Amino acid sequence: MAAQSTFQVDKRDVSFVLYEFLKADAELKKLPPFSGMSKNDFDMVVNEAAKMAVNTVAPVNAVCDRSPVQFDKGKVTTPAELKAAYKAYCEGGWLGLTGPSDFGGQDLPGVIGLATHEFFMGACCAFTMYGGLTAAASRLVFHYGTGEMKKTYLEKMYSGQWQGTMCLTEAGAGSAVGDLKTTAKKSGDHYLISGQKIFISAGEHDMCENFVHLVLARIEGAPKGMKGVSLFLVPKYLVKGDGSVGAYNDVQCVGIEHKMGIKGSATCTLSFGEEGKCQGFLIGEEHRGIQYMFLMMNEARIGVGIQGTGIAAAAYLEALRYANERIQGTDIEQFKNVDAPRVPIAKHPDVRRMLWTQKAYVEGCRALLYQTALWADMAQFHPDEDERNKAMGMLELMTPICKAYCTDTGFKVTELAIQTFGGYGYCQEYPVEQYMRDIKIASIYEGTNGIQAMDLLGRKVSMKGGMYLMTFLNDLNIFCDQHAGHPVLGNFVKNLTETKDKLAGVTMHFGGLGMSGDQLYPIYHAAPYLAFFGDVVIGWLLLRMAVVAQEKLDRLCADNCCTDDDTKRKLCADNSEAKFYDGKVRAAKFFISQLMPRVLGYEQAMMSGDRSGLDVAP
Amino acid sequence: MKILVTSKRVTDPDMKIKVKADGTGIVTDGMNYKVNPFDEIAIEEALRIKEKGGGAEVVVVGIGGKDAALEIRSGLAMGADRGIHVLCEQAVDSSVVAQILAKVYETEKPDFVIMGKQAVDDDSNQAAQMLAGALGVPQACFASKVELAGDAKSARVTREVDGGLETIEVTFPAVLTADLRLNEPRYASLPGIMKAKKKKIDEIPVASLGVDTNPRVKFVKMTEPPTRKAGVKVADVPTLVQKLKEEAKVI
Repeated sequence: MAAQSTFQVDKRDVSFVLYEFLKADAELKKLPPFSGMSKNDFDMVVNEAAKMAVNTVAPVNAVCDRSPVQFDKGKVTTPAELKAAYKAYCEGGWLGLTGPSDFGGQDLPGVIGLATHEFFMGACCAFTMYGGLTAAASRLVFHYGTGEMKKTYLEKMYSGQWQGTMCLTEAGAGSAVGDLKTTAKKSGDHYLISGQKIFISAGEHDMCENFVHLVLARIEGAPKGMKGVSLFLVPKYLVKGDGSVGAYNDVQCVGIEHKMGIKGSATCTLSFGEEGKCQGFLIGEEHRGIQYMFLMMNEARIGVGIQGTGIAAAAYLEALRYANERIQGTDIEQFKNVDAPRVPIAKHPDVRRMLWTQKAYVEGCRALLYQTALWADMAQFHPDEDERNKAMGMLELMTPICKAYCTDTGFKVTELAIQTFGGYGYCQEYPVEQYMRDIKIASIYEGTNGIQAMDLLGRKVSMKGGMYLMTFLNDLNIFCDQHAGHPVLGNFVKNLTETKDKLAGVTMHFGGLGMSGDQLYPIYHAAPYLAFFGDVVIGWLLLRMAVVAQEKLDRLCADNCCTDDDTKRKLCADNSEAKFYDGKVRAAKFFISQLMPRVLGYEQAMMSGDRSGLDVAP
Repeated sequence: MKILVTSKRVTDPDMKIKVKADGTGIVTDGMNYKVNPFDEIAIEEALRIKEKGGGAEVVVVGIGGKDAALEIRSGLAMGADRGIHVLCEQAVDSSVVAQILAKVYETEKPDFVIMGKQAVDDDSNQAAQMLAGALGVPQACFASKVELAGDAKSARVTREVDGGLETIEVTFPAVLTADLRLNEPRYASLPGIMKAKKKKIDEIPVASLGVDTNPRVKFVKMTEPPTRKAGVKVADVPTLVQKLKEEAKVI
């Protein structure tokens, strides 16, 4: 066993978001596959996941970082502690959480799976990727594979015995995946695959007995670009008729990357068919590989978003604890008094600002991700078609924001966590510097955040004639109208209304430019546009949560006969529930008044019309 | 073979407990609850005995209001076969618990009972002993090792006692309690949690058991432990020695 870690999970806020805010238990009851499940069931799953994340997974995080995976002669070795934890994770059935029960999964809703993933990602991102990749590959096989494929592979995958991977990227085809060169040549009932893939997470290691690679390749004679790409299932070892592992299938690992973070995750270069004997089995129809991958993409991108928020949440909780324990300096107002008592750094205004920034981003992103995952469940299973369509629209619109905004702000949170620690934060003795290195990749893979921004501005905003955007703005208008006169939050709601109108204005302006043939100028601003959009979404969610929290806080105050500010403040200091709800309200106010105003600068930049950075590269 | 185990709903020992200002109890706003950790060890031991073979049935019993079902369900998720929930809204003391468990014992007729040596909320450490007394069966408390005889009619139990370990043999039926070092309880697996949904929990209203539920122990008042007084700084070693001798009287 690795040494214990200091990792914590915020079960209180997770529970608030799931039940008090989203009312996920009631919403999921309406979806036939989950109608028999209750809050108690979800609680038990979430609590056991938290236990496993804290006690079993988190202790391997530092181990993965200090003793990265090793490569030697085609073999990848993982640290012993990682292996032991992975075994416990697979045996506990966590890999098949949302998988189909016909193949060893547990059929749980995606939003509950996401909550457990937040814990596991925060505990150890590198660790969680192994199971995450297998689960994602399994879903693809389940949706598009033949009956025979499902029977042969899925159970072994959901149990963790076989590792699934996604093989898209090549040396010359990353973001431009349509340029890939790997080929497939028909040969009887299968294809012969030939080519090299890079950056394949979990592509080779010593924790499973077989690999199921999902490989994008071009069948000989296929059209150029994305429309000529097909998807193949390529096992490392062919599977015998009785389901056992058979002959080597000419897939080898030729190296691994040495990375800035997630060093426990094996990032492999895989070579297929060097001896011309690598068999691949077509998934679905020819030339539709990209389409299949895309259909899985919403989920994968929300999954990367939760990496951002899971790690950021872990970093924030470390910083919060440290700031409350670390004694340094006196109260600022007494700085001339050398005998003044020394105070925890959480007393200092600058540290408080950093902590509230972290809290607002983490809790806002958590709400966004859980809400979007719930929309994904509804889009798939709601019995009412209108509800399904509406949920689908919100899912489509929010997916790039989940991916990019949660990873960008997550990175910022880890950086602020280091800053909160001061010099110690920069040292390996404390876990926050690793969080910052580990989280960085999340803004790059699964479609860089630049690609996400183009997806939002170039595709999602105008999808279905702009209907998804209108649905969102309409929901926002309803909320703003309803709460403009809120006794505590009214002014903040008005602030959100104004910011939302600015977002609509910029969107219209860009739309106009696009119609007149200027695509470049809007795309040039796509990344800040996504940040702008994201701030409006997060402001909206934080305020919606604050409305719920304020109501509960008022009730607690009434129950405890607190009528004036002093008694209320005392209640918030003594009663953990009052403190929690007060924190939710403050986080919303802080975000709206201190963080969201950055969009005014973005607006100014976007409306400036200046093209000096667009016309040429420096 | 049948093993009866207990699962008491207790306040999460990792949370900070606050006493109500009027001393009538603790502040329960935002409180988390869990299975008494010693009961978890008892459940684990029963499951290990079951898994060694012999086809034992593990029955987990809990006493309390509606919410106490959650902790029984946790025992089922770990692998116990079925549950019994004695519905009882009022507060009970160790002797009432022992009487309730005795009634359950009479209906269930298990080979033996194993429960946590004490609950981490009130730390009474009496229910098991009283249960053994009420039933007139042997007890083996504070077990750190339990070995069943080949015929499963008795057990050799290593007990943690003051100053060391004591090994005794008890014939069944008997009441055992689990100490901290008996085992390390497993986590419930995800399939275990999902299967537990389908396992049966019988609800028995406490009134139907014919037990006198009036507690023998009278609850008077709850207070926070006194805060430690600040220490004093002494000028030099001779003063320290003098103070230790004369004030603290420790040397």
